[in-house]
Amino acid sequence: MKGFKPSAPFLLLLPAVIVLAAVVVVPLLLSLYSSFTPFRLTRPETFFVFVGFKNYLSILSNTDFWWAFGRTVLLLTIALNLEMLLGLGLAMLVEKATRGQRILRTLMMFPMMFSPILVGFQFKFMFNDNIGLVNNALQSLGITQDAIPWLIESHLAFIAISIAEIWSSTAIFAILILAGLLAMPKEPIEAARVDGCTPWQTFRYVTWPFVMPFAYIAMTIRSLDVARAYDIVKIMTDGGPAGRTELLWTLVARTAYSDGRMGMANAMAYFSILLSIAFTVYFFNKLAAARTQIGAEW
Amino acid sequence: MNENSSARLKRRLTGIVYRIGLFLAMLTICLPGLWIVLSSLRPTVEIMAKPPVWIPQEISFDAYVAMFSGIGKGGIPVIEYFRNSLIISVTSTIIAVAIGMAGGYAFARYRFRGKSSVFLGLMLTRTVPGIALSLPLFFLYVRLGIIDTHFGLILAYVALNVPFTIWLIDGFFRQVPKDLAEAAQIDGCTRWQAFWQVEFPLAGPGIASAAIFAFLTCWNEFALASQLTRSVSAKTLPVGLLDYTAEFTIDWRGMCALAVVMIIPALTLTYIVQKHLVGGLTSGAVKG
Repeated sequence: MKGFKPSAPFLLLLPAVIVLAAVVVVPLLLSLYSSFTPFRLTRPETFFVFVGFKNYLSILSNTDFWWAFGRTVLLLTIALNLEMLLGLGLAMLVEKATRGQRILRTLMMFPMMFSPILVGFQFKFMFNDNIGLVNNALQSLGITQDAIPWLIESHLAFIAISIAEIWSSTAIFAILILAGLLAMPKEPIEAARVDGCTPWQTFRYVTWPFVMPFAYIAMTIRSLDVARAYDIVKIMTDGGPAGRTELLWTLVARTAYSDGRMGMANAMAYFSILLSIAFTVYFFNKLAAARTQIGAEW
Repeated sequence: MNENSSARLKRRLTGIVYRIGLFLAMLTICLPGLWIVLSSLRPTVEIMAKPPVWIPQEISFDAYVAMFSGIGKGGIPVIEYFRNSLIISVTSTIIAVAIGMAGGYAFARYRFRGKSSVFLGLMLTRTVPGIALSLPLFFLYVRLGIIDTHFGLILAYVALNVPFTIWLIDGFFRQVPKDLAEAAQIDGCTRWQAFWQVEFPLAGPGIASAAIFAFLTCWNEFALASQLTRSVSAKTLPVGLLDYTAEFTIDWRGMCALAVVMIIPALTLTYIVQKHLVGGLTSGAVKG
């Protein structure tokens, strides 16, 4: 029995590993292979033609791809930072509330219940230039007479998409940071106040280090599905106008399913996979570091 | 005295500013959802009206009636989509939780080499964007003949959920003190019995919320479902939502009504599990 014991965790993890290998790892190896072929859905025989790095080289010189790549990174940077700030602010507002905190907490989680596709649709409705809530409100208040083309002009469309993205995911940060604030012992804050710290100093040197691991958990969770933005963009603008809001993921989908160029799409997909993995590993390491900083055992 | 009253004034002002801030924040959070609910109950003429009609003149459930009265009456096959969504989500949730319990228990109770990197490795499989994963899956499923079937989507969703259920359930098992199971074993339980009679009931609520979380992920998933399903026999609700968009026109009211139908189960379930969910994700954040 004793010799058998070390393999217990192995046995327990086996089903998970098998499923993930079958549905994620093997298909990904297949797509890695096909990214080296000129594979088209309409011509199956092209699957066995090997062209080396040709797809990757043509991506490198494809300006549409680099625009989409840059736009994706920009969207993620803006969205994640703002979500973090707003989430922190929201969590602190709710933590301060003396009455009705339970109700506030439930309300705060409201956007989390919306699937990204619903978020996309809802904001498409609100930002509609003709009948949308936003334009109607602006016109009724007399701020503007014209219908602002929110989803038709490229910069405004990008802003609209960012707002939708931020609205849907701030809740994740807020709820986890709030959990951190509530779990925090009150004595250090009182001690800091007695020692004459300003509120800012108290926040910066006492509260923030404690809350940081929670913020990184939120970041890690978020980075696990940054690609949720695909659903939002797909519904709101479908990459339009004229490809001006195309993100990496919508570009991959278009290349694969509309143009049928699977080989090329897989090569692009690998860029987006690497981007996601980079995000996750980065925040996972930050999380581990923050944990050790406050003396937790992994 | 003067200092006193100015301090009091300042405090009162801060209080008012704080309340306004809180109110605005909550308004921003709730308004979009409420607007959808309201729009689903208004006649299309009112939604389209220029200048806008702010106060609804009449409320009707026509959109919901039309939706459930089937094809041909201006509706889409919502009942079929609903059934597909339910079958796929429930089945894949049950399988994912079973696998997640085994994995989570392994992470919470055993020490083994490379634990941290195995954990990270599992998580990394989850980072693959749905759309990127859909390319090879699409190709494989066509070859295997399981495209546009419940089975195909269930398989994909199990894999999607396993990393996250492991993370959550790991957290819940960590919250159950090790001593309890050890005490049970000293009293003559096998490890298997100790697990089912002591640890499982204690971690039960947490595991239930991991299950609900997995269910919601399936319920809401779009990127994979939109490529791996084609027809009424396997399409899920999020994909069905697109049925309301024609080339140039959108049936806003119908879409709003379907959105409400989709959100109600999600709302109820999330409300039930919110407390446990946060506990599970953050356990281990401060204490190992």
